[in-house]
Amino acid sequence: MALFGQDELTRIAEAALRQATGDAAEAVVIARTGALTRFANAAIHQNVVSREVDLRVRVAVGKRVAVVATNRVDAEGIAQAARDASDLARLSPENERFAGIPEPRPIPVAPSAYRARTDAATPLDRARLAKVICDAALAKGLRAAGFVSTDTQELLVASSRGVRAYTPQTIAEAQAAVIGAEGSSFAQRVTLDVADCDAQAVADEAVAKALLAQKPRDHPLGPTEVVLEAYAVRDIVAFLGSQLTGMAVEEGRSFVGGKLGQTVTGPLTFTDDAYDPLGIPRPFDFEGQPTERLTLIEDGIARAVVYDPGSALRAGARPTGHALPPNRFTPASPMSLRLEAGDKSREELIRGVRRGVLVTRFWYTRWVHQLRTIVTGMTRDGVFAIEDGEIAYPVKNFRFTQSYHEALASVRGVGKDLSLLVPAEQFGLSAAWNRVPALHLGTFAFTGATQY
Amino acid sequence: MERDLARRALDTAKTRGASYADVRFVRRAAEDALVKNGALEAVDRRGSLGFAVRAIAEGAWGFAASQVVTAAEADRVAALAVEIARASAITKRADVRLAPVAAAVATYVTPVEIDPFALTLEDRLALLFAAEARLREQKGLRTTRASYGIWREEKLFLSSEGADIAQTITETGGGIAAEAAGNGELQIRSYPDGMRCQNQAGWEFLRDWDLAANAPRVAEEAVALLTAKQCPQDQVTSVILAGNQLSLQCHESCGHPIELDRALGSEAAFAGTSFLTPDKLGSFRYGSEQVNIRIDSTSPRGLGSFAYDDEGVPASEGWAVKDGIFTGYLMSRETAAALGKPSNGTMRADGWARLPLIRMTNVSVMPGTAGTLDELIASTDEGILMDTNRSWSIDDRRLNFQFGTEIGWEIKGGKRGAMLRNPTYTGITPEFWGSCDAVCSESEWVMWGTPNCGKGQPGQIGHTGHGAAPARFRNVRVGVVK
Repeated sequence: MALFGQDELTRIAEAALRQATGDAAEAVVIARTGALTRFANAAIHQNVVSREVDLRVRVAVGKRVAVVATNRVDAEGIAQAARDASDLARLSPENERFAGIPEPRPIPVAPSAYRARTDAATPLDRARLAKVICDAALAKGLRAAGFVSTDTQELLVASSRGVRAYTPQTIAEAQAAVIGAEGSSFAQRVTLDVADCDAQAVADEAVAKALLAQKPRDHPLGPTEVVLEAYAVRDIVAFLGSQLTGMAVEEGRSFVGGKLGQTVTGPLTFTDDAYDPLGIPRPFDFEGQPTERLTLIEDGIARAVVYDPGSALRAGARPTGHALPPNRFTPASPMSLRLEAGDKSREELIRGVRRGVLVTRFWYTRWVHQLRTIVTGMTRDGVFAIEDGEIAYPVKNFRFTQSYHEALASVRGVGKDLSLLVPAEQFGLSAAWNRVPALHLGTFAFTGATQY
Repeated sequence: MERDLARRALDTAKTRGASYADVRFVRRAAEDALVKNGALEAVDRRGSLGFAVRAIAEGAWGFAASQVVTAAEADRVAALAVEIARASAITKRADVRLAPVAAAVATYVTPVEIDPFALTLEDRLALLFAAEARLREQKGLRTTRASYGIWREEKLFLSSEGADIAQTITETGGGIAAEAAGNGELQIRSYPDGMRCQNQAGWEFLRDWDLAANAPRVAEEAVALLTAKQCPQDQVTSVILAGNQLSLQCHESCGHPIELDRALGSEAAFAGTSFLTPDKLGSFRYGSEQVNIRIDSTSPRGLGSFAYDDEGVPASEGWAVKDGIFTGYLMSRETAAALGKPSNGTMRADGWARLPLIRMTNVSVMPGTAGTLDELIASTDEGILMDTNRSWSIDDRRLNFQFGTEIGWEIKGGKRGAMLRNPTYTGITPEFWGSCDAVCSESEWVMWGTPNCGKGQPGQIGHTGHGAAPARFRNVRVGVVK
């Protein structure tokens, strides 16, 4: 599918800005063609394409502000949204916490995240990649479930203050759980170019691990030395990242609140880098402001948090260009968070463990106590005992209840390879990504077990 | 016009070779508002319109969706759905089969007393400002919130089998929350149920919860939790779950495992599978004889109520668990056919751009005979009362779960005692429900809701209903968090 394109999205945004009647207005246009081919029991069972455009109009009248979103982007729909946002703003009480719609600032150049081949992928292209994975599993008597997707996403931000920012991005993804009679595994690849989305590599990794994962045994609970694959590490990075914001500090729920300059993890470095050419670069936020490259934690020492204009104003800090679209929950987020690489291969991380456990990924992780970063969740799709530096046998899944930043205090090894992974979509597009390594941690609290 | 375009899309799909097709047009309107720390933090209004074509060709599924509502686009999307179905067929292992359903021509509208969209913004906000101001009367709070959400969906469903169904669903929800922080603790109390309390109803739903009257108690409890006793660590005791917590326990540990697509492996890579495999249907002891769980898409106010699902199957009622025995699945036409049964009509899509999936309708724990909550406490020698969910997690077959609640109280000698902070409990689903020895009576039963249920790839958010009353469980492991 072709891009909607900068001209078309600009037309939509400018039509909205022309018809908004406040002191200032902002239009955010998100366009997406999403195609996802899903398979289970080794056959495609859900196969979808949708083409969507959303317009968000924010109007400010002094300290009164309102947002109206619509997908009706014909002349009448745009006019209605602009009128509604203007009327709603006038009706709203003043909000002293509102920091205003920002002025334009120069946006640095970032590498392009758009690849035409991904944009041009067909249903048959995706089905063929899915078939590679399904067939590889079947050949070993296993069943595959997962998906192959190609997404084209565009973001345009414009405001009556003069902001104009546009970027397209493409994401191709293949992921699969490979399932046997008594155990399963998981593998995933995310790339910008569908030509680089190696379904065979997904199949090879998942099938090999699934064969090892059959007939899991019981394993003792309690604090355990672990090697976490990148899929599991991404969960830790995402949870901790959500607390590295001005709002989290303001509300007293961040583990770095009052601790900038102090040690909060082991010797690990978290960088929010919207310009990373191996990530999904996007040099501006949802207010069209340039995104700063920030070291949030440096060798374990808390250095910074990200701010939107509102939380920055209240904290006496400067906005860092990490604003999300207006929403009720989170005004800003580190959207390009990288946990810096170490020097060990995956095999070397495993060799460093005398008695421990290898975890493929986490599942259904939820806060138990935000301030202490205590999270509970399950392991899933491949857990193995490590004995004397070797994978010894598969074990049944664990429940863990663990402070994530305290777990990182026990880091003993960091993988040298970073995996690009994306969380679920937010606001109609893949707003965030992470690049993370595998980790060797000295202790991780397994507090329960399940029956498989 | 939409009906004409739907017919045109069906014709195009059939011309292109579809053996079955359906078309859904969905128009949504919603508004959320949040008052936080005395200011209107956000007022957001959303609207959308679009359509989708679902088609079977060469025995496989295809789906395409668009928001451009024109005849040309109806043709393009219908043809694309068939093209996608043909691509799906390259991995086909068997042709898709659908359980039969009578083609219905019908309409349905949620009964509402006060149309929330007909009120002025000022009227809606007044309820929030009044409640939030009462929260701030309490000293020592870090954050105070009051919010509402109103939601309306108009759906038109036509199928190549002759169905023509128009439905309008209206929902209203909201709540208040107070947060206190200090001494390394962050504590929250909310009312009525986190920020997830929502029903298929009008503004009367939120009015009747009386947020302002409950705000002082909620605020006081949030501050008191900072210095309350920690929940006992790693003990086994009796637990009484308040109705709002039992509703989520039911959602996670009964509602999801009775989804037949999970049980048959369709969700294996993401949401997971189910320990309730088809061989257990009709014989597996899921819980004690006190446990009766109903699937009912006709329940008044339930978020899972409608006249027809998104495959044109009529609403139904039946048992998921009867006297403790697992007796029924949530089914689609395709999964029901795999069991040789008719569908009980549980397919719903999150808007026009997403494929219908099996979703919980109203999956409710039916009332028992234990009287009121006070009477249940009075009949409990020792244990913990836990109220309002704060944390929830369960494994991908829905066996091992762990929940935390905002607040707990000791129960000693049949009396509610000291407040407890950070209460958690954990268990294995059939063992836990097997330990249920009392469920409160109908006077305590409330239709709760979960308006944020995630499932599917691409992700979808479902709205599900769960009636529940407080219930008691024996020999439960509590206090996982130190």
